[in-house]
Amino acid sequence: MHARLDELLSLRDCAPADAGVRAHVDACPQCAARLASAAALRGQLQALPPAPDVSGDGWADVQLRLAASRARAHRMARIAPFATAASIAALGLFAALRWFEAPVPSSVTPTPLIALDEESLDVLRARSRALETVLAAMPERPAVERAETSVPIESLEAQVQWLDHQLSLVGVDTRAPDAERLWRDRVEVMNSLVRLRYVEAQRLVL
Amino acid sequence: MAWMSAFLDSDLPPDTVSRALEGAADAHEAIYRAFQRPVRTLARRLVPRAAQAEDLAQDVFVEVLQSLGQFDGRGSFAGWVRAITVRRCLMHLRSPWHRGLRWVEALAPDGAEAWSAAVPAAGGSRALDLERALARLGDTARAVVWLHDVEGYTHAEIGALLGGSASLSKSQLARAHARLRELLEPDGAKTSCMPVSTNC
Repeated sequence: MHARLDELLSLRDCAPADAGVRAHVDACPQCAARLASAAALRGQLQALPPAPDVSGDGWADVQLRLAASRARAHRMARIAPFATAASIAALGLFAALRWFEAPVPSSVTPTPLIALDEESLDVLRARSRALETVLAAMPERPAVERAETSVPIESLEAQVQWLDHQLSLVGVDTRAPDAERLWRDRVEVMNSLVRLRYVEAQRLVL
Repeated sequence: MAWMSAFLDSDLPPDTVSRALEGAADAHEAIYRAFQRPVRTLARRLVPRAAQAEDLAQDVFVEVLQSLGQFDGRGSFAGWVRAITVRRCLMHLRSPWHRGLRWVEALAPDGAEAWSAAVPAAGGSRALDLERALARLGDTARAVVWLHDVEGYTHAEIGALLGGSASLSKSQLARAHARLRELLEPDGAKTSCMPVSTNC
């Protein structure tokens, strides 16, 4: 098997090469010729003539570019203080805006929208019980349900279960900040549930 | 005698760099005169379009003369100028503008020839044939073959310049040689008119 070109180039460049490759190239006229060819090509590349003389005065062109570059640097140096001041002002403005928009720290307890009131809680509980009674008085749900009512009904029933669970965690402590909100939610959900069950029951009768 | 890069062979009076650092205008000009040919030659070998190469060479001198203070004197001044030239040319070859232009020209019916148009057509001269073949290589392959075979960069140095490894440089060199052979000897003829120097 003949030597690969990269192996021949390594031999040409006196780079570390496999002894077996070296021995093969010494014995193989084809690989020896390819090695000679690679060496010759390097010689030809090195012998290529340099770039021709530049047309015109190259040094004058370089001087012009240097002058332009210095002028640009000078302009930049003149506007640099203003640019820095503008950047600092922009940063300050940004920081101030962020400060005003910053959320209230979590350590601050939010004030309830409605003050806790034992009487209003009793009213909510009473409404909820009344809705439970209406719901219990309704006919049984049909065996074959309509998707347009059954899915929302099941969703509302799940919400009622979740709210009951939350209320059980609050317990009897009516001063708990969540108690009023949970009872209000339960009344609203129960109200929606009764309405949907009513629509469903009407369809069953008709 | 071992081959020496044209950069390292340049003739610069000993105190020129220190005088240039002090702002002496004649020292600046002396640096330009001493290095204009190697810088332009290297740029024209790495960047096949002559106008772009000449433009880059001018930019190299602007950078060299403006950043003389950064030359720490640890290596040769010629090597420092060459490093700036190589970096500038490789940056140009990597630029989206150059790549886009190359891509557009490759779509043209004579796209394959477009990039070698800057090199005069072969007129029977081996050197012209080689220049033309070199111009037809891919940017990376051309840079690798020139930096390694002519400027004497190591594979590790080239790999680092290309953002890769020495293996990348080795494989690109082998590919460049194979392609140059194809272009120079389309009928597969093997000719060797140069003395072989593989005595390690």
